[in-house]
Amino acid sequence: MSTILEQKCPNCGGAVEFDVGAQRLKCPYCDTEFNITDMPENVSEQADSINWNSQGAQWGEGEADGMNVYVCNSCAGEIVADATTGATTCPYCGNQVVMKGQFSGALRPDLVIPFKLDKKAAKEALKKHISTKKFVPKSFLADNRLEEVKGVYVPHWLFTCDAIGNANYKAKKIKRWSDADYEYTETSYFDIYRSGNIGFDNIPVDGSTKMPDDLMESVEPFDLSQAVDFNTAYLAGYLADKYDVSAEESMPRANERIRQSIIDSFRETVKGYDEVENQGANMNVANGIYKYALYPVWLLNTKWNGEDFTFAMNGQTGKFVGNIPTDKKAVTKASLLLGAGIGALIYGLLWLIELL
Amino acid sequence: MIKKIFAIFVAVVICLSATVCASAYTYQYINDDLSKLSYTEYNELEAIAERLESSYGLCIMFCISDGTSGLTDYEYAQQVYAENTDNENGVIILNNDSDKTYAVLLSGNAEELLDENEVENMRKAYDENNSYYEGIYACYSLAEDYLENGSYISSDDTLSEKIDEPGETDDVADEKDGVPFFWIPVSLAIGLLVGFLIINSIAAKNKSVRMQENATVYTRPGSMIITGNADNFLYSNVERKEKPKQENKN
Repeated sequence: MSTILEQKCPNCGGAVEFDVGAQRLKCPYCDTEFNITDMPENVSEQADSINWNSQGAQWGEGEADGMNVYVCNSCAGEIVADATTGATTCPYCGNQVVMKGQFSGALRPDLVIPFKLDKKAAKEALKKHISTKKFVPKSFLADNRLEEVKGVYVPHWLFTCDAIGNANYKAKKIKRWSDADYEYTETSYFDIYRSGNIGFDNIPVDGSTKMPDDLMESVEPFDLSQAVDFNTAYLAGYLADKYDVSAEESMPRANERIRQSIIDSFRETVKGYDEVENQGANMNVANGIYKYALYPVWLLNTKWNGEDFTFAMNGQTGKFVGNIPTDKKAVTKASLLLGAGIGALIYGLLWLIELL
Repeated sequence: MIKKIFAIFVAVVICLSATVCASAYTYQYINDDLSKLSYTEYNELEAIAERLESSYGLCIMFCISDGTSGLTDYEYAQQVYAENTDNENGVIILNNDSDKTYAVLLSGNAEELLDENEVENMRKAYDENNSYYEGIYACYSLAEDYLENGSYISSDDTLSEKIDEPGETDDVADEKDGVPFFWIPVSLAIGLLVGFLIINSIAAKNKSVRMQENATVYTRPGSMIITGNADNFLYSNVERKEKPKQENKN
């Protein structure tokens, strides 16, 4: 059963939000600040209304699948949300609400990394990100509009294990020499084998289908030493989703990264060769455990030429990523100009050598 | 950043390759079939011989050979000379190391610039030194002394043109110094390729969203233990490639 949780100010009754600067809850109406621990998670449970509305005949068959309807405790407005939505804002009164049922029981995250950077920092990072790039279309700089900036707690599965693996490589040593008439090249071939153990801690895998996996992996890494035990109070003022990709479904991606790490790490111990090529690797995972955590990410959506561009910022470290369109005409022009310049330089050097 | 550095590296390598190609447009005066000279010595002697030829129009060539492939020393010397230069005016001193014999061949107007005694003195200067390098060096020094007493002629002139007007000599020199025009499109093509690589590597930085390849950043510090390793030699092969012959002068 899902319930809506609102973090209310004990002083004035206003909806409180998590303040990233103070790392505490703050009432935007009376400026009162509270420690997370001072706000019991069940403080407003007694006030919760449980309203599972029948989707009835108003929706076509399957049309409303994956959607939930909640009633806002403050204004009684209906909040229609995705089945995975765990925290959002009431579209009528702007109240920050947390769907408590999305994070209870087995769905309760083990850890949460609180936001360290606010919306302003995210907007400034976007400006900086775009301004440092070359060959961006001028119209993109002028016309792109920031449609939405939202702080989202993205569900992640964290995998910890001891990996036991082995890898094979084919290596070459190349030796060259010459005499008066001939040049000789001796190529020696080697079969290289390495086996060993490597421990991995908290490899994250995106647990939400709504978030692009490449975007989430691009904002890594997060510093898990700053993670705290989950408390719904941290979600106040942000969006949050519960996972819709299970830990079992996420394991293949974790295994893939572990496998590549074994290949790369063992490769570093193969020295003294001119060429080394991996021929395959096997691995077993022991002592594997996984945790469920929420990672803070700022998502910024812009629109240009009818196309959506999504940027993401690590809400903890500030690492900013996002693809920017390239002005192909400008690239071609610059390539031709630089190419002509280098060509002239080469020809000039030839003249210089000839004259000397 | 790595892509940018790589692009610049490629650019530098291509520029250097072009430079090396251009500088390889030289001629071989020393035929050291027995590798008696070090790389540095060889280059130094080649530079001296080139200077003498450009100053006095005389190509003075040395050949240290291990046999003459069934030819007489003179025939072999003639063959080596013809293979390595188009200058009709020159001297070749052949040292057949296997038979401990010498052959001296003069062609074109060489006999008018150096008399028999002078050439014999040069050969002796070469012979009297224990070191091949010092012998050839002494020979070139002696040749320069003898030639300094003669008149200047350019490499493409014949003796009958010794008294050419200065203007004519300059024109010939200008023709020699120019870089052939076919290098213009070649330089441009290389430049465009390098420019394309550099610009595209910069433009590629506009895309920053990609999957991570591995999880090495999540490796537990000090947890990697190698329990087994083996480097097994499989086999080796040797490829032999004939050295490219030096290009002739024209």
